[in-house]
Amino acid sequence: MRLRSYMQDYHHSRKRFNQRILCFQIFSFALLFLLFLRLLDLQWLQHEGLLLQAEQNRVNVVPMLATRGELVDRHGVGLAVNHVSYHVYIIPERIPEMEKTLARLADLLGWDERQFAQVKHRLKRARRDRPVLVEDKLPWLRVAPLAARLHHLAGVDVKAGTRRFYPYAQTASHLIGYLSMANAEDVNKGMLPIEKAGRSGLEKTFESRLHGQLGMQQEEVDALGRRVGVLKRTPPVMGEQIQISLDIDLQKAASRALAGRTGAVVVMDVHTGEVLVLLSQPGIDTNHFISGLEMEQWQYWLHDPKRPLLNRAIQAAFPPASTFKLLTSLAALRYGMPLTRKKTDCKGFLELADRNLRCWRRKGHGRVNMHRAIVESCDVYFYKLGDQLGMSRLQAEAKRWGFGQPTGIELSPEVRGTMPTQARSPSGHTRKWFRGETMITAIGQGAVSVTPMQMARFAAAIANGGKLLRPQLEAGQPAQIMREIDVSPKHLDIIRKAMRDVVASGRGTAHARLSRLPWKVAGKTGTAQVVAMAQDNDKKEAKKKPKHLQDHAWFMGYAPFENPRIAFAVFVEHGGHGGSAAAPVAAAIVRAMAKREAS
Amino acid sequence: MILETIRRMDKVLLLCLLCLAGIGIATLYAALHQGDIGLWQRQNLYWLLGIIIMFGLCFVPLRILALACWPMFLFALLCLVLVPLIGDTQMGAQRWLNLGLFNIQPSELMKWALVLILAQWFASREANSLKNLLPPALMMILPTLLIIKQPDLGTALVLLLAGGVMLMAAGLRWRWFGLGVMVALVSMPLLWLNMHAYQKQRILSFLDPQSDPLGSGYHVIQSAIAIGSGGLFGKGYLQGTQNRLHFLPEQHTDFIFAVLAEEGGLIVSLILFVLYGVLLFQLLSIAERASTRFSSLLCLGITTIFALYMCINIGMVSGLLPVVGVPLPFISYGGSALITLLAALGIAMRVGIESHDRIPWQRPGSPFA
Repeated sequence: MRLRSYMQDYHHSRKRFNQRILCFQIFSFALLFLLFLRLLDLQWLQHEGLLLQAEQNRVNVVPMLATRGELVDRHGVGLAVNHVSYHVYIIPERIPEMEKTLARLADLLGWDERQFAQVKHRLKRARRDRPVLVEDKLPWLRVAPLAARLHHLAGVDVKAGTRRFYPYAQTASHLIGYLSMANAEDVNKGMLPIEKAGRSGLEKTFESRLHGQLGMQQEEVDALGRRVGVLKRTPPVMGEQIQISLDIDLQKAASRALAGRTGAVVVMDVHTGEVLVLLSQPGIDTNHFISGLEMEQWQYWLHDPKRPLLNRAIQAAFPPASTFKLLTSLAALRYGMPLTRKKTDCKGFLELADRNLRCWRRKGHGRVNMHRAIVESCDVYFYKLGDQLGMSRLQAEAKRWGFGQPTGIELSPEVRGTMPTQARSPSGHTRKWFRGETMITAIGQGAVSVTPMQMARFAAAIANGGKLLRPQLEAGQPAQIMREIDVSPKHLDIIRKAMRDVVASGRGTAHARLSRLPWKVAGKTGTAQVVAMAQDNDKKEAKKKPKHLQDHAWFMGYAPFENPRIAFAVFVEHGGHGGSAAAPVAAAIVRAMAKREAS
Repeated sequence: MILETIRRMDKVLLLCLLCLAGIGIATLYAALHQGDIGLWQRQNLYWLLGIIIMFGLCFVPLRILALACWPMFLFALLCLVLVPLIGDTQMGAQRWLNLGLFNIQPSELMKWALVLILAQWFASREANSLKNLLPPALMMILPTLLIIKQPDLGTALVLLLAGGVMLMAAGLRWRWFGLGVMVALVSMPLLWLNMHAYQKQRILSFLDPQSDPLGSGYHVIQSAIAIGSGGLFGKGYLQGTQNRLHFLPEQHTDFIFAVLAEEGGLIVSLILFVLYGVLLFQLLSIAERASTRFSSLLCLGITTIFALYMCINIGMVSGLLPVVGVPLPFISYGGSALITLLAALGIAMRVGIESHDRIPWQRPGSPFA
């Protein structure tokens, strides 16, 4: 009985034990199966996504910047070129201890407090997985200590690259323009934040051609960001080299002749419209933009009363003054005004209602015809001619010759100037139009304003027989004729001869400065009043006027007279008289041009 | 006698172990071949040492082992108490005790000591009365608290679970089991409040690894990427990018499974699972046919610890469980873990060997106990 109970107990206990082991067995195999399901999930269902993540982990796509195309002038002289320099990048997420690394960099590169703060600020805004440019344009000597220790600094990289250099920064700053780091808009268009984009001038105009194509290098990196190998390489494609129409020697000659005065010079090929000179002074040293523009410098330029950032050749319009008399003459000839065939009397002023309109020559020109009125720039003759013509005809003619509209030059922004209409004043108000206003417009004063570029094109059109050309900035391009102006060759001849006599005749307003030149020049002076001539204002007082109230000087024309090649417009802001201030600049250009042709 | 013992060894288990040794050594080489290859060489020495110990233990009668239960448990407990007083601090946790010649991890020792002492206790008792349950409960809870204090949550968890399984096998009523679970659930918030910040962070990042992908979630994300990117057939031996380029954390210790899964794919993972499964099955069948209640419980305890290591490690590496420091049996680098596992396997084999002896299964309180 005891034995039986013992055996029962034994069996009972053993049975329960084995049951529990079975439970445990089932439970642990169920767990194993669960783990296997998880593996199926990861390795089969999620495989593709996780493989992609693994690839992203190890593959670091490093952009390789394309070398920007160079800009050379029509004779191959470099205007925007590339110099070798070194850049330092860091990839924030690959840097284990940012503070330490930055301190080390500061030590090796010799940063001061401010540079250090700038770098920190840049890093704060940057993405953590992209290279951030911390220092660029380093010469080899400065980067060498860092390059030697690079393998100790995970996440820091030095690359050889190029930096833009403008050898003629001061003389051609407005035309060439400058670069700056890609902004948010560029990045949206697919540019990388470390790339640079043209911001103004030709750098901006030809951006797409100069920029080149970004290369990519797929690198294998380890968890610390160290490069282990290169997987794939797409080399960058260098941007196009562009030969522009500018002649830098002419430009320099023009700049020298302006001699520090404020103004603009445009020289154009009369047949092709190629722009040989596009000068605006004062210029700025655009190399500052490349080495990182200081805020003070920018503020200085921005607030300089001489406004160096303004491209006066296309972005500013000024009263054309007497140069506009050519247009008034052309209009009068076209509409057959009686006065074109007659003479009139200049007493030095013209009485009109309650006031007198004055001629620049107080004692008057005596009896003048059109030819003499142009040569000696008689105001009274043109007051009368303008009065006969009326505003609408004058305005129609101005429009024909391209005033009050953009020239279509591939530089932006370009202003169109103003050509007032009888119906509406420039400010847009409808008001009563006075007779005197038409007369003032006829001598290029009052509300009318033109850009030096428009003026040069006007001169070119007179020289080439009425073809209004689009200014070309690239060398060797065929002429683009925007409009064939319907003008009688006979009328043009009258104008041309008068322009020639402005220079050639002893009484011409520009005779003194331009008579002894290798090429025969035809032109027209202009002296634009900044403040209205007071009745009792005489020349001596004019000399004493403060600089900013002095007259603007114009000289426009073309050369050589018989077989025109170039047309030019010279504008000197507050320069004084057109004949004495602006004409010598044209003379210098013609001399330089003739010298180049001779050699 | 010796020949008889060799003849009675579990050949399936040995074959299984041989395969696991091959996979383990190869995987460890893959994990270390670009780093400290010296560690791999040292692990091979551990294998050698461990296998010698294993075979040695096959010849030690279990009776003798039973004598070592109490001394071993008390020694392990003493070490655990000493750890906070004179222990070395590694990675912010006091786990190691320097014994002059070598360092030991008392918590590691305690696991096996607990298995032994529980097997011994329940060899002659049923887990059905408070009198029989209170001492083993103390034996479990005291070391667990000490280990939690270190802090080493993983080992504490293994300790509790292994003890629980042995209690169940020893005949614990289901209602008692339910009570234990209840107590555990109630004590969870208390545990949470007493956890270190990094432990809380681990659990939080387990719940949502993407919340801090570069911080505490990094391990989990990177190992999931490694496993998943391996796909069905793997990237090829020594070709795993996550492994080779050091994106995997702890690639030669706790996260070595990710290396295996990345380079070998689902196929090799499955082979490993099958090997583990066979090992588990063999060990449990040994426990089932063991001749004495003591040896049966002992073998079950050993099996439980092995199964827990395996499940917790793979669960953690594949992102199913929070990150706790538990090695993958036979694969992870680590001398003490490997040698103790092999020693435990030797004891289990001894249980199998003795099961053929005609000593009757002892009921609790029998004269044979």
